[in-house]
Amino acid sequence: MVRVKSRYLLCEINVSDKRQLLLLDDRAVATTVKAAVARTHGDYGLALCTIRFSVKYLNTHTGIVLLRFPKKCYKLLWSALPFITSITTRGQNIPCFLNCLHVGGTIRTCQKFLIRYNTQQLHRMLPKCKNEEEKQQIRESLMDCYLEGGTKEALEGESESEEDEEE
Amino acid sequence: MSVFMDLNVLFSPDRNRLQGVIETAAHLGFSTVAINYVFEPSSKKKQVIPVPCPISELIDQLPVVQGRSRPIRVLNRLTVLMSDSSHFRPSAPEYRRFDLLAVQPTTEKLFHAACMLYDVDIVCISVTEKLPFIFKRAPINGAVERGVVFEVSYSAAIRDATMRRYTIANAVCLMDSCKGKNVILSSAAEKALELRGPYDVTNLGLLFGLSDGDAKEAVSSTCRAVLLHAGNKYYSTSTASTTGSTAMSTTAMCADQSVCVQRPGGRPVGSSTPAGSSRRRCTTQTVGSDSPEQVAAAAAGGDLCVFTWTGEAPAAKKTRSDD
Repeated sequence: MVRVKSRYLLCEINVSDKRQLLLLDDRAVATTVKAAVARTHGDYGLALCTIRFSVKYLNTHTGIVLLRFPKKCYKLLWSALPFITSITTRGQNIPCFLNCLHVGGTIRTCQKFLIRYNTQQLHRMLPKCKNEEEKQQIRESLMDCYLEGGTKEALEGESESEEDEEE
Repeated sequence: MSVFMDLNVLFSPDRNRLQGVIETAAHLGFSTVAINYVFEPSSKKKQVIPVPCPISELIDQLPVVQGRSRPIRVLNRLTVLMSDSSHFRPSAPEYRRFDLLAVQPTTEKLFHAACMLYDVDIVCISVTEKLPFIFKRAPINGAVERGVVFEVSYSAAIRDATMRRYTIANAVCLMDSCKGKNVILSSAAEKALELRGPYDVTNLGLLFGLSDGDAKEAVSSTCRAVLLHAGNKYYSTSTASTTGSTAMSTTAMCADQSVCVQRPGGRPVGSSTPAGSSRRRCTTQTVGSDSPEQVAAAAAGGDLCVFTWTGEAPAAKKTRSDD
């Protein structure tokens, strides 16, 4: 069966200051990745980047980004990602680094992993909550994702409540 | 799931910064981190070897590792930059305070001595300059037999483009000579933003010329082997008494994350191996004595233990390491 295969790389952007995450947009991330690949692998890498590379999903609240690479050369392009030290967006330079969480063949597998990962994160944040109200909110979000099995809207809902906890 | 370790986090007197680095490491999934005190002796004046700060002073509450239920483990490590053979005194009592000992030789002779003779765990390969000497097979093979590992650190590559070239060049040179065995990759991170996740570091290993399996081992099982090798320095292995086929401390094939219980005859019994998972070699201590306290102490260290016994099987406890 002839099918065009890609690899979807689920990454998390780690910053020291959470509020700077909100300034990101997917074009900024795409240009940063292309620049890093050009620096590391030169013209060959940049050419490979133009085939089927794109940023499929970006969540500014949690810093999760889903990148798509062609299957043949995803390892080479992946090896350029650790060299990213900052993302430039709207004139501001945000120092950060990318941490790859999961490599999947389809968006759906990455989504399933992301749901499990987000529930783990909520579990980690539960002991850190300061008052009962926040604890209740987190518990509700956790129950939601267990029951529904999660759509992208549910993900956004959890991540916003996560963001509230942190601020 | 394997245990990922980052054995080189530079010590900085700024407590908050160090705390940030350790929290980031726990968030990324590293189960063990070693704080590195770099010591550069100069022949002109006598210098004091730094004393490691106790961990409880550095951080109050160790953060829990992402994906596991245990807090992160923090160790102390000393790196001696050697430019002369008098710099490293083989059995100085100050060295005992550290869990790991590393040496960074700058000449061919020192490299040979460090690999074959000195009682160190890690030999650091310099990444900030062109290799001053060529690696020869003989000392490297000697080091591999003794259990000494070579370390390549990657944060210089992240900071600067020229350093990147030196790092990759030196690392590729090393991989040529050592064929990918006994190598660890670690960050020499000063800030939290210089750390990278374990899978990214594995990918960097591919850039340096390691194969897929070797690259993953460089972040997980080889690091663990170093810790066991370091532990063995100070505690003598009490080998099992007598009778024939079982009394040996050897490399055992054991599945990661479980205790391999062996009966005489050598077939592992009761080790939980998920089907198809790769079995890793690890050096283990054989605790052959009968005292349950010693067994419990070895198991409580959190490391992989192989229980071998002779004669009739006692009631052996199965422990899970680093879960």
